[in-house]
Amino acid sequence: MDIIGYQGLIGVSLAMSLWLISAGLTIIFGVLGVINFAHGSLFMVGAYMAYTFYGLLGFPFGLSVLLSLAVAAVLGLIMERGFLRHLYHLDHAYQLLLTFGFVLVLDDAVKIIWGGVFKIPPIPRFLDGAWPVFGRPFPVYNTFLIAVGILVGIGLWALFEKTWWGRVVRATASDREMANALGVNVPWVFSTVFMVGAMLAALGGALGTPIRVAAPGIGAAMIIQAFIITVIGGLGSLKGAFTGSLVVGILSAYGTLFFPVFELFFSFVIMTVVLLVRPQGLFVHSN
Amino acid sequence: MRTWISSVTVVLILLALIVPPASVGQSTCQLNVPTIKLGVQGIASGAHADYGRQINMGATLAIEEINAGGGILGCKLEMRFMDDENKPATGVKNARFLVNEWGAHFLYGTDSSGIAMALGPVLQELKRIQFFTHAATHRLTEELVYDKKIKEIVRVSAPVYQDAIAAWVFKDNPEIKRWATIGADYEYGYATWAIFKDVMKKSRPDAEFVGAAWAPFLTLDFSSQIAAVMATNPDAIIATPWAGEAVTLLRQALLMGVFDKVQAWFQAMGGSVDVLEGISREVQDNRFKGKLWATARYIHNWPNTQINRSFVERFQKRWSRLPNYSAETTYSAIYITKLALEKAKSLETDSVLAALNGMRIPTPAGLRVYRSEDHQFVYNVPAGRVVWDAKYPIPVLGDLVVIPANEYWRSPPFTAVPVGK
Amino acid sequence: MMHARHAHLMSGPLTTALVAALIALPLLAGNYLTYLTIQILILSLFALGFNLLFGYTGLLSFGQAGFYAVGAYICAKILLVQPSLLLGVGGGTVAAAVVAVLLGALSVRHTRIYFSMLTLAFGMMIYSVAWKWRDVTGGDDGLVGIPRAPLKILGTASISLSTIEHYYYFVLVVVLLGVFFMYRLVNSPFGLSLQAIRDGETRAPFVGMSVTTHRLLAFTIAGLYAGLAGALLPPLENTVTPVMAHWTTSADPILATLLGGIYVFSGPIVGGALFIIIKDLIVRVTVHWSIVLGTVVIILVMGFRGGVAGIVAGMVARPRAAPAPAVASK
Repeated sequence: MDIIGYQGLIGVSLAMSLWLISAGLTIIFGVLGVINFAHGSLFMVGAYMAYTFYGLLGFPFGLSVLLSLAVAAVLGLIMERGFLRHLYHLDHAYQLLLTFGFVLVLDDAVKIIWGGVFKIPPIPRFLDGAWPVFGRPFPVYNTFLIAVGILVGIGLWALFEKTWWGRVVRATASDREMANALGVNVPWVFSTVFMVGAMLAALGGALGTPIRVAAPGIGAAMIIQAFIITVIGGLGSLKGAFTGSLVVGILSAYGTLFFPVFELFFSFVIMTVVLLVRPQGLFVHSN
Repeated sequence: MRTWISSVTVVLILLALIVPPASVGQSTCQLNVPTIKLGVQGIASGAHADYGRQINMGATLAIEEINAGGGILGCKLEMRFMDDENKPATGVKNARFLVNEWGAHFLYGTDSSGIAMALGPVLQELKRIQFFTHAATHRLTEELVYDKKIKEIVRVSAPVYQDAIAAWVFKDNPEIKRWATIGADYEYGYATWAIFKDVMKKSRPDAEFVGAAWAPFLTLDFSSQIAAVMATNPDAIIATPWAGEAVTLLRQALLMGVFDKVQAWFQAMGGSVDVLEGISREVQDNRFKGKLWATARYIHNWPNTQINRSFVERFQKRWSRLPNYSAETTYSAIYITKLALEKAKSLETDSVLAALNGMRIPTPAGLRVYRSEDHQFVYNVPAGRVVWDAKYPIPVLGDLVVIPANEYWRSPPFTAVPVGK
Repeated sequence: MMHARHAHLMSGPLTTALVAALIALPLLAGNYLTYLTIQILILSLFALGFNLLFGYTGLLSFGQAGFYAVGAYICAKILLVQPSLLLGVGGGTVAAAVVAVLLGALSVRHTRIYFSMLTLAFGMMIYSVAWKWRDVTGGDDGLVGIPRAPLKILGTASISLSTIEHYYYFVLVVVLLGVFFMYRLVNSPFGLSLQAIRDGETRAPFVGMSVTTHRLLAFTIAGLYAGLAGALLPPLENTVTPVMAHWTTSADPILATLLGGIYVFSGPIVGGALFIIIKDLIVRVTVHWSIVLGTVVIILVMGFRGGVAGIVAGMVARPRAAPAPAVASK
């Protein structure tokens, strides 16, 4: 029994990692209607930035993470303002192709700048160690991830429900033309939303540095899982992304314990079932 | 303008058609070619990009040294490196380009077993020998060379047999009985586990294999696998994820208190320079409590011979890094080519292969002995405990366990390895 | 809004010249270039089928590689027991079409992003099966040792295709036939119906056409073309691996079509050629091919949104209304 409880908790911490990536992806889609293939690359950039600030330059861990978010925000701004903006009136396919081009560029750029060897800084002291849960050592780091995930969830909820910016964004998301007619600066909304999404991706990457190496192309594995989660939860729904992450994370953890053979396949089956039965996802109301 | 597109396309094709002007023949070259062309491939993009780089560095160093010494039989060497992107289709396409377009006489490299298997029949079609310097699958030599008689395959690096040295390291530890694996979720992981169990059962009939968890390529979080395996209470764990995944796995295992509970952890390719760099701080702080063991396909600090020390020194001087195993194997492969060509005095495949028969060549990794039944060079690589040694900037393998390869490497005649989970 | 009829770039004499050049190619070019052209021909077929679904029907599929892989694996399995090329290629193509009908029936009721996500899921499910089902598919190692089987015709003649040149001609014939049939198809009433459905989804059913049936047919044909393209590979490469079903492989025909032009019939063909040639030239020069290719893609998307062939076709044809943009919505 202890084993099952422990594995479930591991699944939750896994889910929180996935949640950070999926949140950004679903927000960008919900407001801009863009599927950002380069989301995984922003995750990767976040990891490299955190490694550089914390591991190479010796800044405190918290500051390093914040600086990584800043870099990602700038990068996101450049990507949206400089490039994506010009394609909104065209078919979705062009936006996809563009973000795919970004992936090709970014994955090589990090290799050229930091070299092809993976990078990892020392484990920050305050994240080291474990404490007993269900009679087994549960890492402080995994606990930290769960805490951050919940905080981000609450933070995003507050951001979208309680702030002026959040209201403007929601209005733009539900009816772009009307918002425009009411005087909302829609391009500015798009830019800021894209930056928030980019920062969330980078946060996921940066928080991984205590245990995960930064290497070219690490975003590739994440992006597919993020897609699955956002579809299950409903594109554009934060609640959906959170729930979807929990579903995928916990199932994945139990899958490793009981059915090692099928994990990837199962995730796609769930995604397919949701798409067939309730394509708008578990949390989005169909119009 | 109407014809613009087609014209451009045709011109591009024609450009690619233009044969580069032949360089003036070197009168000193006894093999009657302008240069001996060596085509090299490895993973040079994505998460494992450093392995291709190491192959590139090893090859380049060897070629520079040989050319400085006058070349092979008076012929200079020329190299071309290409990224196989860890994709069989790309590896095959590159091989065809290197041989048919560029005129490569010999091929080297390949990290990925999948690419190696795809290349085998193509090498036969292209009639060129490739000296494989990393791809570890037993199937390359056992199936393609031994069974299917594809003679154009020669392997210079230690195959997956090497990983089973783990069974010998702990042979005389009666308290280590229950084994589990955290395996790479593809052929390499399955084969290692199968061969390890096989070898283990012979030396320790009381061994029990209590758990297995599998992690796909590019896994970023191993907590579920670690938790699943620890739930079976193993005495020791053998792990096959390599490169960056190995470091992530070890970090997470540390945080989950694994090294307080198990007696030993054997990281198959943990002796690889990039992995040792990645766990440097933790080893210095003795976080692994002396329980972390590993092997590789060559380690720079063994054997303590002149040829090895000199190689490591020159490599560090040239590249400011320690040589990884794929660098040494590629470096040695080119010296093997030199020796074979000097003996055969010809570039013909059959002559070169004949010259390999019976070859015993001193290399940085030690004496390499050619096994003509499966075209595999046999040499010893130790296993050891991952320790901090102040002489080196990164951890090394110490407390070395040296066992003659012939005692645990598989040898012909081969029976199939039951690879499944 | 009236949609532009697909522009035609290739005139009669031009097409003849190109075909003549393709026939002469192995005689003039070396082994490698012939091999490269085979790859271009196969990608063209793959992309042509994809664009029937995308450019003509308005459905963006991320899972075409699934059918491509089915074609390849079935062909391989057949050739490993019965080395007859037509049987292998034919069998692979039929199998892919069958799988396409089944998956299509589930997919075509949905549109836009949901359709795309469904096809992505299906493609990756095929990938997972190929990777895991070791006993049948060989797992991550794939199937090896597939023979370049001879062409056996009705049990009488048997033509060996073991050289690259001979196999090239076989592929060329198959691809030319495929292009010809596709050309006739898109210019037929069926093809016009597809475009009408793409442009005015709500109007079409009122005119008496079954939207779903049309889409399913287009989906099946696209899958058939993908399977045929895939089936042509095992005899060439001797191996099939699961990565053939991965979404990154699905990206190839998408990239090729977007580079060449969605709304031009020859777009996928031109794009396929450009994609392979550009990448081939880049890797000869630098190991950092990814950043160069990525930059090229970005420049092309930002600068030439009609694709290369699209720009030229636009210059050639009478000015027409710009294509109706898909509504950017959730």
